Formats: sequence, structure tokens, C-alpha cells
Amino acid sequence: MQKIGMTTTIPVEVIYAAGLIPVDLNNIFVTHPNPQSLVEEAEIAGYPRNLCAWIKGLYATTLQNDDIRTIVAVTQGDCSNTHALMETLEMAGVKVLPFAFPFDRDYDLLKLQMEKLVTAVGTTWEEVTLAKARLEEVRQRVKEMDRLTWQGDRVSGWDNHLFQVCCSDFEGDPEAFASRLDAYLAELPQRDPIKADIRLAYIGVPPIMDDLYDYLEERGARIVFNEVQRQFTMPFDIDDIVEQYRTYSYPYGIFYRLEDITRELERRQVDGVIHYAQSFCYRQIEDLIIRQKLKYPILTLEGDKPNKLDARTRMRLDAFLDILR
Amino acid sequence: MLLCGIDLGSRSVKVALMDPDGGFSFHKFDTVSFYRQHGRAVAGQLQVDFAALGLGVPEKVVATGYGRQTINVKGAEVIPELKAHVIGAIQQTKLSEFTLLDLGGQDSKVVLVARGRMMDFQTNDKCAASTGRYLENMAAVLDISLAELSRHYEHPVDLNSTCAIFGETELIGKVVEGHTTASLAAGVNYTIFKRIKPMLTKLLTDTIVFTGGVANNQALVQIVESEMKVPVVVPEYPQYNGAIGCCAWGMESR
Repeated sequence: MQKIGMTTTIPVEVIYAAGLIPVDLNNIFVTHPNPQSLVEEAEIAGYPRNLCAWIKGLYATTLQNDDIRTIVAVTQGDCSNTHALMETLEMAGVKVLPFAFPFDRDYDLLKLQMEKLVTAVGTTWEEVTLAKARLEEVRQRVKEMDRLTWQGDRVSGWDNHLFQVCCSDFEGDPEAFASRLDAYLAELPQRDPIKADIRLAYIGVPPIMDDLYDYLEERGARIVFNEVQRQFTMPFDIDDIVEQYRTYSYPYGIFYRLEDITRELERRQVDGVIHYAQSFCYRQIEDLIIRQKLKYPILTLEGDKPNKLDARTRMRLDAFLDILR
Repeated sequence: MLLCGIDLGSRSVKVALMDPDGGFSFHKFDTVSFYRQHGRAVAGQLQVDFAALGLGVPEKVVATGYGRQTINVKGAEVIPELKAHVIGAIQQTKLSEFTLLDLGGQDSKVVLVARGRMMDFQTNDKCAASTGRYLENMAAVLDISLAELSRHYEHPVDLNSTCAIFGETELIGKVVEGHTTASLAAGVNYTIFKRIKPMLTKLLTDTIVFTGGVANNQALVQIVESEMKVPVVVPEYPQYNGAIGCCAWGMESR
């Protein structure tokens, strides 16, 4: 089966309906044995140094995986850097299908975008509906895993992050992903409870470093809410697929996202919030809105290069936990 | 009991020794030489040869600082850096409500302290252009001492570069334009203030306590005081504030 890349979460039902394998390029990039080498490859090609590492990683990842010759690029609802990413990939011979989440969450516009995608990949709405039912089976289990994260004490923040973030493409094989999750859930009761006296929320795009969750748990704090990762799982129980992607918050404005965030912070009883923003990302500006709107202690983290937390970030995390204690 | 507080900074290692009567003595070492000469890694921990430092053998060691994340000092209790600075500032000034401004070799930190507790903080992130290292570089460009640089705050030249290195080029341009050294030095001091102003504005209280090596810059103290319109308190030992905080914490937790 043919693979199709994606720059962020899109209506993945459409891809499965067409019998194609979706590949979230972000996941391939960040799990590469040496993700920084991909960033450097893009810089050698001419990508600026002072630019989001995700975009650079996506560029080099696409070029290195020559079984991915078509990508769906989110042109609205994500950043404008994606536009130049599309253009440079087109220069390299990659076919790009644009997809736009309408800024005002307009139902008709979103439906039209999805219709165009359905046509572009050569499938039908009937097939899409079947694919949605197929994915719903998996999503229900992910939802249970997320519930156990904040209502129980055995799912680590990292596991919560990882299972949810994988729901953008279900690793190209929803059933295999589901069995892995089933196995995880089955052995959960045997796990040692996580000892943590501080409950945290993580909001913003998924972190580019992979040791944040462990670092916090070693210091007695755990993340019980991963905002955007959870959104990737479409945790809404909505039958209408257009409505589902209209409810999905990540591609829309910060005020709409804050409605979901506020609800979950309250429900999950968190002590503090970590707002992560990628270096050079426009979402860093939105931090000032978040700080005004959320009545919680907030630590803003900035991540640049892939891999590990740097010394400054660790110092700031320590200080934040100190404030919360 | 001899208590030893160590602040492992990026430019220097500061040691405060507290004797049983509560009296302090202070010692400063260049960071790189300190690691080369006095410390060696044993099982991933830094073992400090106190005897060779000539400081006596302390009964208890409390450490903090930038190096704390990379190096665990063997046998020492390690506390978070901002905590050490807040405790040090409280110990030195006896204040409990203030905005702490700490400017070190590579760090700028602003902490809101209320009822003797850290309530919020801001730090510089990806860039160290508002720190002591920048002042050292700029003094070198102007061919004056840090002490001389620290005297000037009037008629500053306007410097705008985001990058500290490009700032050197910009400063050289101003030299060519014929500005006086006093104006150039004042301009350099003002650039530091411009960088920290947003952080100070967000966390401002009625008093600013200014610590770290850069607090020895009298011009900057003047600038912060006149621009922020609140009194600036520089404690007696601004550079040893973190080390003093370590000692104070060690006393408390005995």
C-alpha cells in the first residue's frame, strides 16, 4: 500500500478510506535515531537557523523517505512556514495536497476542504464513514487510557503523550496500534503507582525533547493532561465527521483552544500549567493571552532542538516545582 | 559547625563559609580552573578537594548554581538555583516582599517574592545578551575596565542589536562616529536594562533587590532605579548571594 505523508493532524479517515497508509512526518522525524542531523540537513539545504526545528525536520524527513512521494500539508490552522515547506518539497518533486482548516471554524468551508481531499485521494464519503467507525474502536481505548491517567496513578505522562500523539496516523496500522494499547492497559494494574504530589497540565504543541515527563516524575510531579496530544485523538463522540474536525481545537484560534483547556484543567484538578512553545513559533505570542486567561501558575517552556532538556530549562522546571510546593 | 555554601556559576564558583557564630567568609574561583584543579568526577559526581582549597573541612555542604544540573557535588545537598537566590536575598536584606533581580555571568533572573516565598519568576532563555559576560566583552571592545564601564549612565548612545556579538560591531560603529567613552559605556549599560525591562515590569513590586556580579555595576543600579521608579537595594555581598542562600538553607534544615 502506498504511503502518504502529513505535516500535522488531518482527517485521517479519508486517507484510510482510500486504502493508503498515513504517515505523520513529525513522528518519523522525532523518533529518528539522530533527529538533529535532519535539522542540520535542512539548514545545509538553505533553511534558516532561526526557524522552527519541526519544519526543518519535516523537510529532511520527507526527502529521506523516498517511499513518501505525496504529502498532505496543512496550509491553514498551522503555521505559514508550512507554505514554504510545501514549496521546497515541490521543488524536490514531492506531490503536495493542501488542506486548510478554516480559521473561523466554518462548517461549509471545512466540509468543502474534506470533499476536495476525498476526491484527491480517490475515495468516497461512504468509505470515509466506514473508516471513521474503524478508528472509533481504537479511539475509545485511547480515551480510556487518558481517563486512567488523571483518575488513576499508573499511567505516566510520557505514556499518555505517546499513545495520544500516535493517534494522528495510528502508526499506519490502527489494529496493531490497538493491540499494543490493549497489552499496555492489561498490564497496568501490576505497575507501581507513580508517586507525585504535584499534578501538572501540559499545553501547546508536543515537546521536541523526550525527557520532560521523566524529569518531572523523578521530582514528584506528573503531567495528567496533554492538551494537543489529546486533541489528536478526537475525544468527542461526534458522529458527523465534519463536526468532529470542527470541534478539534488545535488548528483554530487560541480562545477556542482555551475553552477546552479551562474545562480540562478544572476536571483534572491540576496545580500548575506548563505552556510549551517551539522557538521561533508564532504561538509564543499567544503565551501572553494564555497567561491572562488561565488563573493557574504557568511556566512557559521554549524548546528548540530535538532530544534532551537543556540545563536552563531544567533549572526553570525546578524553580516552578518549588513555587508549587 | 562549619557550613559551606557553593554556587557553581558559569563564570566563577562562589563559596561562602559560615562559622558557628554565623560569621561569613567568602572565596571565589574561576569556574574552569575550579573544575580542573579542585574537582574530579567520581562515579558521575564531582568530588571537591576541600583540603586543597585551603578552606578547612566543612561539616555540611549545600550547593546550587548553573552547574548543578550537570554536576552533582559529592556529599552535598543540592537545592534549586532560584531558591538559593531568594533565600540569600532574604538573609542579606531581611526583606520579605520584593522583586529579585539577579544578573550573573550568563543568566538574568527576575523573581517575585511575597511573604518570603517565591511566587513567580522569569529568566532569559535562548540568549545571554543581557548578562555579565556581555559587559565583559563590551568593556574589552572599548578597551576600558569593568569598573570604568560601571561608572557611566548619562547620555547613552543608542544600541539596538539583538545579538551580543553583532552588538560589538554596532559599538565599534559608534566609536567611529566619535562618541565619548562615557556615552558609549552608558549605552552598553542601557542595553542591559532594555533586555531586563519586560521581565521587571511584569514582576515589579515596591522594592528591587539586585544581586549577582552585575549588581556591582553602579551605573546599572542608577538606571534601574530611575527607570523603574522604585528603590534598588544591593545587598552587601551581591555576588555571593546564592552561596549565602545555600548556607542559610543549610542552617534551617539542620
